[in-house]
Amino acid sequence: MARTVIDPVTRIEGHLRVEIEVENGVVTDAWASGGLYRGMETVLLDRAPEDAYYIAQRICGVCPISHGHASTMSAESALGIKIPNNARIIRNIIEGAEALHSHVLWFYTLTALDYVDVSSALKADIGKTYELAKAAGTRPADFKAIQERLAKFVEGGKLSIFSQAWFGHPTYKLPPELNLIAVAHYLEALTIQGDAAEIIAIMGGKFPHFMTSIPGGTAWVPTEDKISRIVYRLAKVKAFIDEAMIPDTLAIAAFYKDALGYGKGVGNFLSWGVYEDASFDPKKRFMPRGAIFAKNGLTVSDPKQENLAEYVDHSWYDQAEDGLNPAQGKTHMAFSEYSTDKQYSWVKAPRLDGEPMEAGPLSRMLVAYLSGNEAVKTIVDGALAALGTPGKPAPATALVSLLGRVAARNLEAKVIADQMVVWMTELIEALKGGDSKFFEPARAADGSGAGLWEAPRGALGHWMTVKGGKISAYQAITPSTWDMSPRDKAGKRGPLEEALVGAPIMDAEKPMEALRIVHSFDP
Amino acid sequence: MAQGSREDVYDLLAARGVSRRDFLRFCGTLTAMLGLSEAYAPQVAHALEVALPQPRKPVIWLGLGLCTGCTESMAQIGYPDVPTVVLDLLSINYWETVTMASGESAEKAKQDTIDAGGYIAVVEGTVMEGADGNTLRIAGKTGLEHLREVASKADAIVAVGSCAVDGGWVRGRPNPAGGTGVKDVAGKLGFAGKPLINIPTCPVNPEWIVAVVVDALLLGKLPELDEIGRPKLFFGSSIHDNCPRRGHFENGEFVTEFGTPEEAKGYCLYKVGCKGPQTYTSCPITRWNRKQSWCVESGSPCIGCGNLNWTDNDAPFLNRVRDIPLGSLGNVKPESVAYAVGGVAAVGLVAHGFGMKAAGRVGDGPPMEDMKAYDRKRMKKGGGK
Repeated sequence: MARTVIDPVTRIEGHLRVEIEVENGVVTDAWASGGLYRGMETVLLDRAPEDAYYIAQRICGVCPISHGHASTMSAESALGIKIPNNARIIRNIIEGAEALHSHVLWFYTLTALDYVDVSSALKADIGKTYELAKAAGTRPADFKAIQERLAKFVEGGKLSIFSQAWFGHPTYKLPPELNLIAVAHYLEALTIQGDAAEIIAIMGGKFPHFMTSIPGGTAWVPTEDKISRIVYRLAKVKAFIDEAMIPDTLAIAAFYKDALGYGKGVGNFLSWGVYEDASFDPKKRFMPRGAIFAKNGLTVSDPKQENLAEYVDHSWYDQAEDGLNPAQGKTHMAFSEYSTDKQYSWVKAPRLDGEPMEAGPLSRMLVAYLSGNEAVKTIVDGALAALGTPGKPAPATALVSLLGRVAARNLEAKVIADQMVVWMTELIEALKGGDSKFFEPARAADGSGAGLWEAPRGALGHWMTVKGGKISAYQAITPSTWDMSPRDKAGKRGPLEEALVGAPIMDAEKPMEALRIVHSFDP
Repeated sequence: MAQGSREDVYDLLAARGVSRRDFLRFCGTLTAMLGLSEAYAPQVAHALEVALPQPRKPVIWLGLGLCTGCTESMAQIGYPDVPTVVLDLLSINYWETVTMASGESAEKAKQDTIDAGGYIAVVEGTVMEGADGNTLRIAGKTGLEHLREVASKADAIVAVGSCAVDGGWVRGRPNPAGGTGVKDVAGKLGFAGKPLINIPTCPVNPEWIVAVVVDALLLGKLPELDEIGRPKLFFGSSIHDNCPRRGHFENGEFVTEFGTPEEAKGYCLYKVGCKGPQTYTSCPITRWNRKQSWCVESGSPCIGCGNLNWTDNDAPFLNRVRDIPLGSLGNVKPESVAYAVGGVAAVGLVAHGFGMKAAGRVGDGPPMEDMKAYDRKRMKKGGGK
């Protein structure tokens, strides 16, 4: 049967190959292959436990904050450290700033081009563009100047990042005016993502890769000047999300409602929970811990890390190290050849209770929605009403789709932007109350622990064992390990692979729909 | 058009929403970045005015064993902003993380650029040699093959970030995936004669990239490089020498635990492991994220991410004295190595807190410090942890 290969999948973090079988315009089978092995878990061995924080965050340059936090939490868990309340709030704010940065960057810079035809924006009528922006409730811009800039750029003949783009692809459905609005916000988003990153820089020295969330708390001590600089930038980012990102999402979604009908995936969802509560109970985190299994419908259960196993039957690792729990996990490469029948990826296949689990904002939003998070409930119900017909909102199960996955990420951006204001207030009140504790030194020298947390793109776990003051074992399961997982021992596909099956493909040479599904996971 | 007129330039800038005032501000920033006196600002402005309307220089941004942090960092540039770099200054025809095309279309854009020649190759991420290069596979080929092809017809190669420069954290001991740097495979992959500019730190600071590109493209010269190919302008003096906390070091005022009032006062981080004295980058001056901050300002000691083999040579990060890995011998305290390699004098340095100095003689450690007599006196007072 004819296979279509997308390699490299661009506009993602890292290197990914996707292979699909297409029959009568529908995907019948799919394989996801991670192309890179760097050996982080082995590099960390025999080092000081607090050094892992600095190195492990370099797993991902888009979500280093989350990896840094998961690593530092694994050290704190191994060494029996409870961080001070101030450090907890400060970490939530840095983590939130990264999520805002990441979601804005993902929507406009990485995935928007799957839905927005930049070349069509040249045909937009400027007057109608302003009318449309007003009707959609989205932020206006100097549309004329942007269209002229685009025209000059195209006339120049060198298309830079748009070289060989699939302009005019039949799956593009937006009118020229909406394309122009999206292009304007594509450019503005490049500034806004940087404003969110500046918050991290103020609190962590720089972004990507930050310096302050060391095991024990934080090295950052807030001052009035630094707090005011954060608040200013947060207001700017939040305004963009409220005034552009959310209305843009709804306006664009209206043209792509067919994407509610495919890209569903495995239907199992995992969230370890993120944004620590004062109680330090993961089930009470702002985005709480929980798992949803397709076989039980939309109900939340509590995931147990003891029930995790990582399979390597289809990955280029020592086949004797199959089905291990990450606390006892091993990673030794054993490359053979690329073969979708045997081994085809550097990504392992993690499973919870034997099931492949989808990780990401959709998992978090579903778990939070079903756990009764008020902010999440309000915004999700609003979106379901918009996605349905008048008087008949779409059911919550509609979220389990390509369009639902895209919407969940953007809606989460708004929920977090709103909550960031709450955390800033919380920090200011704590400081006003005289709390000046930011760091708690380690007590134990040895132990084992885990940092179970969430990156913007999904569930993240780091496991660390310390012996004689040095790291003796280290494992990580990243969101993309979950989502881009190959098949497991039983032959069950990973979440992306499963989401691709059943998707319509209009042009097998240029499989735009497949690209949309891959990007919806933000790998 | 061989040479654009002033009016062309300002029309072009206006179309991008850039005012003359913004443009001149940009020129002033660049002048300072290039290490020129302010008096040169008009000349920089003129050079840009001439160069801007010319056909944009093609670039292939090749991502190897990366975390994408250097691309992310590039997106955090201040002046000129990202759209100006991507749409107006350069034509970045291949850049996996950002480019619109995917799969074969993306590879075609890359191949067309290679065939045409005359481009700059920017390399991000570690060169992966493990499993015969298969620890990195893109489009059915190894990363090594991609590097060989892209380097072959490039005018110049810019290795951005510590991973591309020498392998970065990926080559940290025991280097399980076979990571190394662009400079280390230049002979093997047949591009030893090409100009290679190394811009380390993890991630790279985008301001340095733009300054180098402006230097090369617009002013028509390559920056002056040090012995490992780094632009001297940004890697010529130590963090310690330019640190705003230096005064506290001189006064013997140190932070000894994180999150304390001493940190709020901005005391020196030497005792909690700061690698500023042996790290040669302009971080305190260039700063990060549109000049918002930098590591030491946030309260963290420098971890020396701009040094060669930084994850081995600079660890432990929060301590002054480090263990040195010696293969099958296990970890050795620097004192014993100091005895072995340098005798009494080296021991003296270690005792004064400069364990790194002795360590620099093992493997390709950081350059030896040129310690000033005055600093040595202060070391005794400050002491190592």
